[in-house]
Amino acid sequence: MASQLLPLELIDKCVGSRIWVVMKGDKEFAGTLVGFDDYVNMVLEDVTEFDYSGNHTKLKKILLNGNNICMLIPGGEGPIAASA
Amino acid sequence: MADAVEDAGSVSEPMDLVRLLLDEVVCVKLRGDRELKGRLHAYDSHCNLVLGEVEETIYVVDDEDTEEDDLKTISRKSEMLFVRGDSVVLISPFTRS
Amino acid sequence: MENGATSQSEGKDPSGFLSEIIGNPVTVKLNSGVVYKGELQSVDGYMNIALEKTEEFINGVKRRSYGDAFVRGNNVMYISAD
Repeated sequence: MASQLLPLELIDKCVGSRIWVVMKGDKEFAGTLVGFDDYVNMVLEDVTEFDYSGNHTKLKKILLNGNNICMLIPGGEGPIAASA
Repeated sequence: MADAVEDAGSVSEPMDLVRLLLDEVVCVKLRGDRELKGRLHAYDSHCNLVLGEVEETIYVVDDEDTEEDDLKTISRKSEMLFVRGDSVVLISPFTRS
Repeated sequence: MENGATSQSEGKDPSGFLSEIIGNPVTVKLNSGVVYKGELQSVDGYMNIALEKTEEFINGVKRRSYGDAFVRGNNVMYISAD
């Protein structure tokens, strides 16, 4: 039990690193995690937003609403890098 | 608390903007491509609204004609209505546009 | 989860970011895909947003302008500093 890592502790370890965020809908984001709160709202930097249609948009710094986040992948660079 | 009077015209939190719109004609965008134009009589923290002299516009996407510009609208009027806050997307002062 | 999420430094977490960008031009994207660009007046704990000089974009096409706009927080996907 001593080695158990709580979910939010895992995210806390990702602060400063790249992270891949998969939303409940068709959308995904990859960026550097700057910070987050208890609702897992997160501040991301140097972000790429991935569309269901394959489009991607660059964003400098965003506050992402935690409400629609489905999954977080530490170190991930998004769907394109993952399938390459 | 004395500040509340002094700052009556300022927007220090988003709901203050709605407070400033009381008794004004507002444009409310709702989920499901609906819009309301009417006088804001009351609101609460959930964004439940009471509007008077309301005109509702519903934007209907016509699936048969896939012409994107061919947007159909349905309009109707009501004297007074209540809007449940969870369907509210945006509230703004009405401007002719 | 004691202190699980409380160890970020000041100005880096969501509320710090927000206070940093108040008054600046921002892009707000809703879950529906609609985008609002404007000057950020204020945000609250529900992520309700007050914008000034707001422009509405649907499918990347400018549709409308609003002087002031209140956006209900549950519709917000992200707020981006321009």
